[in-house]
Amino acid sequence: MKLSKNDRLGLTMFMTPALLLFVVFFIIPVGYVLIVSLYKWNGMSNASFVGFNNYVTIWKDTVFRRSVGNNIIWALVASCVQVPLSVLMALILNQKPRGWKIFRTVYFFPQVISGIALAMLWSAMYNSEYGLINGFLRMIGRGDLTTNWLGTLNTALPALLIYWVFYVGYYMVIVMSELSGVSQDFYEAAEIDGANKIQQAWFISLPMIKSSILTCMTLAAVMGLRQFEQVYLLTNGGPANRTSTMVLYLYKQVQNTRYGPANAASVMLICVGIIVILGINALFSIERKESYRKIHRRDGILRAQTRRPRK
Amino acid sequence: MMKRQHSAYLSTPDKVKSVLGSIIKWILLLFFALYTLFPLLWLFISSLKTNTELFADPFSLPAVWQFSNYKNAMQVSGLMRMMGNSVFIGGVATVFNVLFASMMAYCLSRFRFKGQKSIFTFFAAGILVPLNALMVPYFVIIGRIGLYDTYAGLILLYSAIGIPMSTFIIKGLMDSISREIEEAAYIDGCGFYGRFFRIILPLSRNGLVTAGTFQFLTCWNEFVFANLLTSSQNVRTIQLGIRYFTNQFSTDFVSMYAAIVISIIPSILGYMIFQKQIVSGLTSGAVKG
Repeated sequence: MKLSKNDRLGLTMFMTPALLLFVVFFIIPVGYVLIVSLYKWNGMSNASFVGFNNYVTIWKDTVFRRSVGNNIIWALVASCVQVPLSVLMALILNQKPRGWKIFRTVYFFPQVISGIALAMLWSAMYNSEYGLINGFLRMIGRGDLTTNWLGTLNTALPALLIYWVFYVGYYMVIVMSELSGVSQDFYEAAEIDGANKIQQAWFISLPMIKSSILTCMTLAAVMGLRQFEQVYLLTNGGPANRTSTMVLYLYKQVQNTRYGPANAASVMLICVGIIVILGINALFSIERKESYRKIHRRDGILRAQTRRPRK
Repeated sequence: MMKRQHSAYLSTPDKVKSVLGSIIKWILLLFFALYTLFPLLWLFISSLKTNTELFADPFSLPAVWQFSNYKNAMQVSGLMRMMGNSVFIGGVATVFNVLFASMMAYCLSRFRFKGQKSIFTFFAAGILVPLNALMVPYFVIIGRIGLYDTYAGLILLYSAIGIPMSTFIIKGLMDSISREIEEAAYIDGCGFYGRFFRIILPLSRNGLVTAGTFQFLTCWNEFVFANLLTSSQNVRTIQLGIRYFTNQFSTDFVSMYAAIVISIIPSILGYMIFQKQIVSGLTSGAVKG
């Protein structure tokens, strides 16, 4: 369709609100953190240019380094433990065992409940006096194992990671939607050749859903880097800053009106995010090229469709 | 040599294998289900106990079901007010978000123009930006335009941060609408706006509902920015509410549990009603990103 004058005016009017919001709340903020991270500023007095000093300051801070380390652990656990578990459950549910729809619904619950409510729930579960976990240990006569799970140096981080790693619903649903697109013919052919269910899953399903596994791993890693609510509510970074994350560090800097280091931390967070995403994509680079070709082909068809009515 | 094996004619070791397989399968299925449900159930039951009962034995059922805990939670904390705030902020933000995103999606989906590709790339990058990293600029921007601690501040921010995701979801649906109808309308003299409001918008209803459900859920569950951009009781959302119960109910745990249950119920109910939309919203966003 050729753009008439009317269309041009309409396009401008229709895109302005969304573009304006996008510029104000995405582009300007990113530029802002990049620039302010080079200044010393407490929000009140005049800012003074300090170059990369803020970066040096936060990098010298052991709490920040530990936060980066913890974030990397979160991202790794999410993409290398949580996603494979999700894929496993997706493969199982894809065989449509009895009541699979109920299971799918239940597994997805934690996605719709707020992070705050989940964190409060688990802080109750882990509570040393009346919590369910210590209660269970006492019930089976192993009262000696009870501990203050979130307050002990060695157990705090694992306790944070474990409760959330078994919530597989989100990635599982993504993988399942991809699995449902795999043609049944492949499985029938494999069955005739004598392949059992596990072999079918390994040799047919997994290769077919590689790209959605990649998507899930990327998402999981990004989620791992964004961790805030859980840590903030369950341990607030303690004990002894063992469980701090980058966002929590950033938050605490903001609370102390140290905007320079806070923004330096923001930039680091964005950079680590980019590195992680690129890294995972590199792992699957060949697969990526494959799907790129597919997209291009689809794009070509779309464009052909748009052109057709023009005559 | 290899013949097709019907399950009825399996040899003994194969039979053992398949029985073992299904046992493992069911253990996994039940484990994950219990892992999700049991803590929620425990929370619900605990919220109906007395504090003494909770301390004595976390597993016991309450002797008398203490529904007064719920009355308590409502009265002490102004929970209803906060739920109202959440519904209002989330609702208005969703309306603006879906309206602007669908206008944008219409332009991206039905027209070709210069710079379209770059808009697309920027929006895709926008989905992956860790928004928590932008705490400081959001704080400064909202403060500068004088919307700190107001409904409008949160509404504006929430509408904005959902724009890329909603645009992708809605555009995905608009792309699937056939062009013939639009062509016919165009020939009949239907202009730019008419085609949007009379044809494309009604036809992409499913996409709007999906994006809207997803957006509302995000607003309802959002905590970081709500915490950052408000200070008074009047505009606090439900998530902040249950966060600050920890202070208000420093000893009254069961009422706190009741408050958490109250905050979860709308999410679960909404999920049950809009399950299809929520799932497809979450997944389609993921696949595009």
